[in-house]
Amino acid sequence: MLPLVTVTVFLPLVGAVILAMLPRIDPRAAHITGMAASGLTLLASILLWTRGTGRGFSQVEEVQWIPSLGAAYRVGLDGISLPLVVLTAVLFFVSLVFSVKITSQARSYVALFLLLETACLGVFASLDMVLFYVFWEVTLVGMYFIIAGWGHEDRQRAALTFFLYTLLGSLPLLLAILALYLGGEPRTFDMRAVVASPPLSGMAAALTLVALLLAFAVKTPVFPFHTWLPAAHVEAPTAGSVVLAGVLLKLGTYGLVRFALQMTPDALRAAAPWVAAVAVFSAIYGALAALGQTDLKRLVAYTSVNHMGYVVLGVAAAAAAVDQRTSSVAVNGAVLQMVSHGVVTGALFLLVGTIQDRAGTREMAAFGGILRAAPVLGWAFILSAFASLGLPGLAHFPAEFQIFLGTFNVYPLAAAVVLLGIVITAALYLRAIQTSLLGPVAGKSEGMPDLDARELWAIVPLLVLTVLLGLAPGIVLGVIHSAAAVIGHP
Amino acid sequence: MSLLLLLIVIAPLAAAGTILLTRRAPEALGLVGVFISATAALFTLLTAGGASAALPWLPGMPVLLRADALGLLLAVMVGGTGLLVSVYAVGYMKGERDRVRFFAELAFFIGAMQALVLAGDWVLFLASWELIALASYLLIGFWNERPGVAGAATRAFLTTRAADVGLYLAVFAVYAAGGGTGMDASAAAPSVPGWVGPAMLLAAAGKAAQIPLQGWLMDAMAGPTPVSALLHSATLVAAGVVLLLRGFPLLGPDTLLLVGLVGGVTAVAAGLIAVAQQDLKRMLAASTSSQLGLMFLALGAGAPGAAAFHMLTQAAMKSSLFMGAGIFQHSRSSTSLAALRGAGRDRRLAFAGFAAAGLALSGVPPLAGFWSKDSVTAAALASPHAWALGPLALGGTLLTGVYVAGAIRVLWDGSTGPTERGRDGWMAGALAVGAALSIVLGALRWLLPPLLRVELPESTLAAGSSLAAALLGLSAGWAAPAEWLPPRLAGPARAGLRLGGGWTGLTVLPVLALARRVVRADDAVHRVVLAAGGGGLRAAAAVRGSDSAVHVVVESVGWGFLLSAYRVRDVWERKIDAGVFGLVRATRETGRTARRLQSGLVHREMALAVGGVAVLLLLLAAGLIISA
Repeated sequence: MLPLVTVTVFLPLVGAVILAMLPRIDPRAAHITGMAASGLTLLASILLWTRGTGRGFSQVEEVQWIPSLGAAYRVGLDGISLPLVVLTAVLFFVSLVFSVKITSQARSYVALFLLLETACLGVFASLDMVLFYVFWEVTLVGMYFIIAGWGHEDRQRAALTFFLYTLLGSLPLLLAILALYLGGEPRTFDMRAVVASPPLSGMAAALTLVALLLAFAVKTPVFPFHTWLPAAHVEAPTAGSVVLAGVLLKLGTYGLVRFALQMTPDALRAAAPWVAAVAVFSAIYGALAALGQTDLKRLVAYTSVNHMGYVVLGVAAAAAAVDQRTSSVAVNGAVLQMVSHGVVTGALFLLVGTIQDRAGTREMAAFGGILRAAPVLGWAFILSAFASLGLPGLAHFPAEFQIFLGTFNVYPLAAAVVLLGIVITAALYLRAIQTSLLGPVAGKSEGMPDLDARELWAIVPLLVLTVLLGLAPGIVLGVIHSAAAVIGHP
Repeated sequence: MSLLLLLIVIAPLAAAGTILLTRRAPEALGLVGVFISATAALFTLLTAGGASAALPWLPGMPVLLRADALGLLLAVMVGGTGLLVSVYAVGYMKGERDRVRFFAELAFFIGAMQALVLAGDWVLFLASWELIALASYLLIGFWNERPGVAGAATRAFLTTRAADVGLYLAVFAVYAAGGGTGMDASAAAPSVPGWVGPAMLLAAAGKAAQIPLQGWLMDAMAGPTPVSALLHSATLVAAGVVLLLRGFPLLGPDTLLLVGLVGGVTAVAAGLIAVAQQDLKRMLAASTSSQLGLMFLALGAGAPGAAAFHMLTQAAMKSSLFMGAGIFQHSRSSTSLAALRGAGRDRRLAFAGFAAAGLALSGVPPLAGFWSKDSVTAAALASPHAWALGPLALGGTLLTGVYVAGAIRVLWDGSTGPTERGRDGWMAGALAVGAALSIVLGALRWLLPPLLRVELPESTLAAGSSLAAALLGLSAGWAAPAEWLPPRLAGPARAGLRLGGGWTGLTVLPVLALARRVVRADDAVHRVVLAAGGGGLRAAAAVRGSDSAVHVVVESVGWGFLLSAYRVRDVWERKIDAGVFGLVRATRETGRTARRLQSGLVHREMALAVGGVAVLLLLLAAGLIISA
């Protein structure tokens, strides 16, 4: 049988290598190559989806590497990673479609995106901790150069901040991986084995968990490790922001589920009240910080801190839950929230990007009546904004509902406080809509053209997914549930 | 059977979708969708109840539609009122642009409300609860290019969403206690915490514009009049009462008293607000709060049947009043009472309908409102808290008479004014049906008890006293329609009794101030991080004797690799291995190459990134081999 996981992971890299070997390729052909590679990757990921998962890991592909160490090339999927693989393939594809207009060094740009795509897919598909760490580090390099090379005015500084922060995060991850390796009996880097019987206990597990939490808190990001995020978003090119928010943040929360929840479950259970408290604070803090913004892109960036706070809260609730029902509701919600956030925030960043491309600014007050000037753009923004504020029928509601429901069963007070977040997000989006979209056409909105074909091809698929995930979350939850049902409690 | 049940909800939603996709004949499509919904509801009610339909949604939590008698009765109310308003809107919106959007949103609104009244589980209830808020937001903001409209829409959504936190928490608590989200299961739930009732009351009060959350409703008048007619009668505000009807088994005795007091105080306070208004639509809006207060009061008195009864009659009466107001608005291009003086004489048919609905609302026998108010008053007087609820109910009834008589007199008094001639065919037709219903719906008094299996409270004392209050109010309002409230009360009442600056002063401004503070704090956190990073950079600059900032940036990336490489090596192997060292040197070379990136030779980045991967892979492989 075709090693489809491997094919999916490395197809983008093949595209990148092809581009690297054709130094004289013109921008148009480079973009076509990029779309072809990421399009094929998307197809392959859909095939993966149709093959599906059982309970636990499936579609495993394994090649011996260093048998004496128990390190091998192992990739495979379960209900948690499969949706994220498909999400990654979708977001990279629409990002490359949206980027077609970029002509400055298009070849390097596309090649970097494809490299980054392979790295992200690799993180989600890895079943070996060494492999995981390698892919993890490569994502960092790829994103650094995308921001530094194609960002806005202050991009060097933003790229550096991003790099410093996330590098800081990856060192503890390495230590934690080594601890998990050294504590195992027999010692192995095989994640399936570590998940099946978590090797550490007592102080060793606690210290490992601290290292893991530090690493993933930076990537997710959680207060106070989040300030790289708005800085990076403001300077990153639009497609870079989509990938950053849509995929790279998920590496942190995915790691939280895969490592902290599955490999050090007892330590996380003990630490769950603290993790939940930080998550609640981070979610509310992110929402308030977003409410205080006047720049549309910073606003969307800060809502990511809010939404990812919910994911962390869901994981904490799953760890602390005393019954299987609660923990699987919380994990269902947390993983679905990752997917929903990728889709919805991806659409929002694309839309803010189209506004910036037209007006050269993202200040809310510079606009008025966009809805009348460019109705398709305006309504797409309203749809995405309402999805992001958790309206039923759209992508975030089923996820957040389950997270809050699971949390309530464990920490009722945390659920009550974090619910204020949905009021604040409603306020911040309605304020943005009222200022920039409603009212008479004014300021930079005058003569604003509506979305063109390229932009529609990039944005509409995400809007369709937003509605689909809201109306029929079962499509994805069926897959997630197969894994969530076996997480946490024996 | 369950197909018919689905049709009640799906038909308006499908109509909305079709309107948006085809962008043709929005009026006809909307009417067809709502007509199918109303007919299906009526047919299901007449033939048999008890059907249900389940749709998959979340694992273990299917979405349930349930056709119990109350739900179907409410579905008939929603469908019927929706149909009347849709017919009315055909005339009202003639010549407006964006009719496609208007009729799509209207049909969506009605569909979402049908889902709410037929919801058999709390998740669907919550979902449709939020969706009707969205529909109201869009419809209130329909003319958002006019000044003040966008703010009114925002405010309506935000106030209700803030209150919705109560509903979320109540649903979670029911799930945690009862093991499911189905409404039947929750009714049998052994023990929910005591705060669940007040939490539900918070959500219901927000939706039904009860004190102190009443302010948004008057601002919502910025929307087109058919929207007001709909959301003040059978849809948005009614949802608050529907919540308390559905959650009634979960309300303890203390909560019931609280519900009754909130309702009673609102009935009187909002009545005063209505009396003080100088704009017909704003007066009717305040009246809605007041009438819903009476329903809350009946619930608090332990008589959900009376509350449902008054909700049904109020739907007909209030939608008729708004439809009448819209006709006068068209003829005078204004809704201020000063401009409407004598408008009734120009539109006699509309005036007749308006007056009939108004008299019904104030409780004149044998019109519908007399019977439902009689029930509410009887419930209040029979409750253990009659000392408080009784006077409040009668006060609300009295004030209803005052403002209704005042409005009728203004419309009739004075000369025929400058009138825009036009044909009111669609509008007048809908109003006529609504007014007829306002007259005859008192018959529900005999239909409701067997249908809902409840007893409607009634007593001679209640009938007598509420009739006396109504007549007293009507004559007072007719005799003194103008400024008779003391100025110290009239001013705040006209502004909607917004204590402490109201919603804006008490919540919005503090939260915005907090948000600004958080942003400042966040900048501070970021500055600390950058300062730390910058310190590291300066150190690096000193070491390397660098001359340009760009150089430092790139260099430090190289150093980052170096450091991590050292770290990796130290962990796995203490001895310095020549091979590893060579790789580290290669990394430093890569760092130098990266410096040249700024000269514009950006294609090197590619090689650099791939090189980075290779370096890391090799490093790890080397480290592994060494320690093996």
